[in-house]
Amino acid sequence: MTNIENKIFSSYQRDSQLYDEIFDEEGAIKQVYQKLFNLYGEHSIEDYVKLNSKAKSSFFNQGITFQVYGDKETKEKIFPFDLFPRIIDPEEWEIIEKGSIQRSKALNLFLWDIYHDKNIIRDGIVPMDLISSSANYLDQMNGVDPPGGIYNHISGIDVIKHKDGKYYVLEDNIRCPSGVSYVICNRTALKRALFGVFNHYQTYSVTNYAENLLDLLESVKPQGVDIPNCVVITPGMYNSAFYEHSYLAKTMGVELVEGRDLFVENDFVYMKTIKGPVKVDIIYRRIDDQFLDPLEFKSDSAIGVPGLFAAYKKGNVTLANAPGTGVADDKAVYTYMPQIIKYYLDEEPILNNVHTYHCSRPEELKYVLDHIHELVIKPVDEAGGYGISIGNRLSTSEIELVKEQIIESPRKYVAQPIMSLSVHPTYIDETEEFEQRHVDLRTFTVLGKDKEFVLKGGLTRVALQKGNLIVNSSQGGGSKDTWVLKNI
Amino acid sequence: MPLEYCIRYNTTNTYENKVHSAYWQFLIIPETNESQDLITTDFNNSLAAMNEFSINGYGFSTIRVNPRKNFQEITFNAEFKVLKKDANPFEFDPSQNIKEDYLRLNSLNFKVDFDQFLKNTPFTTLPDSSMGLYQLDDTLSLFDNLQALNTWTYQSIYFKVGVTDVNTTLNNIITKKYGVCQDFTHLFCAIARNNKIPTRYVSGYLHQGNGYFGDSQMHAWAEAYIPTIGWVGFDPTNNVLVASNHIKVCHGKDYQDCAPLKGIVCSQGQNETQYSVQVISRQQ
Repeated sequence: MTNIENKIFSSYQRDSQLYDEIFDEEGAIKQVYQKLFNLYGEHSIEDYVKLNSKAKSSFFNQGITFQVYGDKETKEKIFPFDLFPRIIDPEEWEIIEKGSIQRSKALNLFLWDIYHDKNIIRDGIVPMDLISSSANYLDQMNGVDPPGGIYNHISGIDVIKHKDGKYYVLEDNIRCPSGVSYVICNRTALKRALFGVFNHYQTYSVTNYAENLLDLLESVKPQGVDIPNCVVITPGMYNSAFYEHSYLAKTMGVELVEGRDLFVENDFVYMKTIKGPVKVDIIYRRIDDQFLDPLEFKSDSAIGVPGLFAAYKKGNVTLANAPGTGVADDKAVYTYMPQIIKYYLDEEPILNNVHTYHCSRPEELKYVLDHIHELVIKPVDEAGGYGISIGNRLSTSEIELVKEQIIESPRKYVAQPIMSLSVHPTYIDETEEFEQRHVDLRTFTVLGKDKEFVLKGGLTRVALQKGNLIVNSSQGGGSKDTWVLKNI
Repeated sequence: MPLEYCIRYNTTNTYENKVHSAYWQFLIIPETNESQDLITTDFNNSLAAMNEFSINGYGFSTIRVNPRKNFQEITFNAEFKVLKKDANPFEFDPSQNIKEDYLRLNSLNFKVDFDQFLKNTPFTTLPDSSMGLYQLDDTLSLFDNLQALNTWTYQSIYFKVGVTDVNTTLNNIITKKYGVCQDFTHLFCAIARNNKIPTRYVSGYLHQGNGYFGDSQMHAWAEAYIPTIGWVGFDPTNNVLVASNHIKVCHGKDYQDCAPLKGIVCSQGQNETQYSVQVISRQQ
């Protein structure tokens, strides 16, 4: 069967400038997708309209909705989902999995170091500014040994495939990375809508995330605790990720609590229950550092637990992730990841970093000035996308202006090549067709004491607007079920 | 000859309506260090709630109170006895090591070791327009420079209670020229840190002699790190070096790290706080 005969792809427009996940450069279907392509081709587009609405109702029925803040009427929405899964073959997956573990471990060692001896700074590998000017560096964590030596229990590493067919890391999220519940729910929805397709592939399960998470969290219980009691703490039902918090608590078989359900007495943490106080040993926290404890951080935090940080500092409770991990997911730290991996693990990075040119280094400055049209120029001290210039969208006079700014204060700028995210056929409601959309992949890595776990799947996020490179759900992104194959 | 001090700290909070939930954290216990020993600690509250002895984020001793019942008034009484060594603040020769001190301030290892007390916080940040407010003289020793800064700070602000509060910025203080001990200390810290000298904010008690009125509040001063000497205390509110009548509780980057009392009280309506500190000395 060829493309043309495939009903649902008959009007699929392929932009040959983009890296398509399922078609090669000549437009031939890639091997791993062949069976799926044939199976989907047995249906008509009309069938997909029906199946798609069935899948959507599955999300509503499971209660998997989120709220968009700021709208006049707060409306429950579902995270847009589409029926065509992304497939990752075993060979590619091995790279992603090993690379994610390598990065997570390196970040963990980096965090230990910068909260203890700070050797990486003394040895001149990373600059002092990374900690002295980071708002996320917590002085209170200096010298604190987190139980089991783990800071980033859960890491959400975002990878993309560039047009060279290689995986690159875009961001390391190690505060409270979210999205894992969608991975599992996407699978459930696809199974309900198109169960038959799973008979033709040997796909890894994603439903084992919760048990592995609990197992690894329990491996870093506080000292002296025999059978630890774990809870998930949420800011509350109005938080946009509340569904995920409740889902994780439910599937781990532990209590979901809010700050007011806990209290600290003599530096131990307890949960209020109708049978009296129950000691809590491990807290999977989904609230930010600054809101954890109103006596130590933001005093107007109504969602924290007074005295929690003292209990943590005394080693009586495990917090996952540890307070202060946010310092390592700064943009600035990202640019040093290859050096950080080399320094702590003496290994070459398995996953690529998007190369960063520091304009403060003369030889790199020259390259940047000569290649502005193919680079993204970013000021180092701005956040939220301010001051970013995308080279190929600048006019000649704008390029000259940017050059002048860089020459004036080279220390202020870094530059990166313009990355092109791969595209994947995605069912689009409005046109009722499959179209190319940019995708990335959020992976979930869990570190425990001497063991680790990577969820074999992850969240493929889709930029639903044509040509858009931003995949965040707050920006109207959707998602896809992501299959990791046991064999081809 | 050691001096014995007795410190009494009392505070009463009264609320218009019943309070259902409250937490307090006191950071008022004198620490034990090379120049002072805490001998006894006595702390109680009028509701007979449990007094939990713990630590703050930087490891200094705290007392937390969480009365698990409704109330409209609560009184806390604390009494500490401290033995203070009679130290001479001038027991070193500062003129010896001028060059070495300045060299060490600029070394990477030094900056890493003292990072916490080299970075300014919102409380100790001078406005850009005031960066040249005070210049060090690099022909003098660090100690002489810091002493001159201590005097300059003392002369730059008039001591006046009630003009500033805990949220007043440095900008406001240097333009209005009024402030209390924490304002003097924040200004001293800001300038010293801008000159690469690690400086910490210290909270404690000051004994000004039996019968003086200045000891009715907690006091604040600064400690600056001179590489060849160590931490040296400066009290810019009084233009003196820290001596045996300064009783230290804790240190941090600024007032925020050292706030003597933090409270999270859920109540409606007005409330009133009465607060007194007494420092009494007894020559041993």
